[in-house]
Amino acid sequence: MGAFVRQAAWILLAALIPASLTAAFHPRRPVWSQETLAPGEEMLPTILSWEGSVLWVDARSADEYGAEHVPGAIPLNLESWDQLFPKFLDRWTPEKKVVVYCSATTCELSREVADRLRKSGISSVFVLKGGWEAWKNRK
Amino acid sequence: MKLLLFLLCLFAGSAFGQLAWATTEQTFNSKPQDKEVVAKYKFTNNGTKPIKIQNVRTSCGCTTAALSKTEYAPGESGEIEAKFTFSGRTGKQEKAIMVATSASPEQPTILKLNVYIEETIKIEPEVVLWQVGEQASPKAIHIAIADDAPAKIVSVISDNPALKVKLTEVKPGKEYEAQIIPDSVAQPAAATVIIRTDYPPDNPQTKYAYARIK
Repeated sequence: MGAFVRQAAWILLAALIPASLTAAFHPRRPVWSQETLAPGEEMLPTILSWEGSVLWVDARSADEYGAEHVPGAIPLNLESWDQLFPKFLDRWTPEKKVVVYCSATTCELSREVADRLRKSGISSVFVLKGGWEAWKNRK
Repeated sequence: MKLLLFLLCLFAGSAFGQLAWATTEQTFNSKPQDKEVVAKYKFTNNGTKPIKIQNVRTSCGCTTAALSKTEYAPGESGEIEAKFTFSGRTGKQEKAIMVATSASPEQPTILKLNVYIEETIKIEPEVVLWQVGEQASPKAIHIAIADDAPAKIVSVISDNPALKVKLTEVKPGKEYEAQIIPDSVAQPAAATVIIRTDYPPDNPQTKYAYARIK
């Protein structure tokens, strides 16, 4: 019985060492909390609390925007920047917070558009964490 | 001995049956007129069982990944061809291709594609803004041409006569300053500053900057 317990303890220890190293150093280890925000990202409840001072920007394709979008959102993407950016400027005012979204957490388009807006001199630009999926799943 | 055998069995799953990649990261320097970059990621099934590539996803709609077939026998090699289309992007671009296989469906291999797209003509800032009622002082837009680009600025004009443009050459042929001069900032107004270049010769670029009084 004692030998069995000892052997089980060794096996657990042997498993614990690589598990701990993986948890600490693996580049693709799972995050501890889903609420982690990247710089410039905001959660939907926070954005909704800003109420009327938000200008929504849809960074998805024209087809996706045409099918459905956040009410009042304007389309803006890198492919058609020169055509769409003047229309964005017509709607934008400096006191508004700009919130960019794309399809889901994994898409990059919202971050790319947000970066380009900041580089263009637009202040208060945020990315919606979870993108359109987060908006669709809101309660 | 029993313990040793157990541990060997424990690690066997992760030690064998993986695809061996020649490289998982590639970097390119490109010019905007290149339009796209194609990168090939070669791999070999170094295991003892066939491996199926179950899923290939990319981090951006601008990147596609193609695969000639999905199942690879032991010792067989293949490649994933990733194509990144610039579509107006400039500067440093980092794209990822996630490859999930039957050997590790939950831990996809991440292939990285880094591309630096040179900005031939750089405009900063792209927008100049006045608030209604503030002082009607001029605001500057800087135009710079990359050192190795044989480009010239042909003209810089405003589409609104109430927001005039005065162009000054800062560094001959390479740097310019466009002063945007409003007649008045008592009322909202908008202008597009049209910057025409002679580069590339077969399809000269026109760039834009914007002036707004809000």
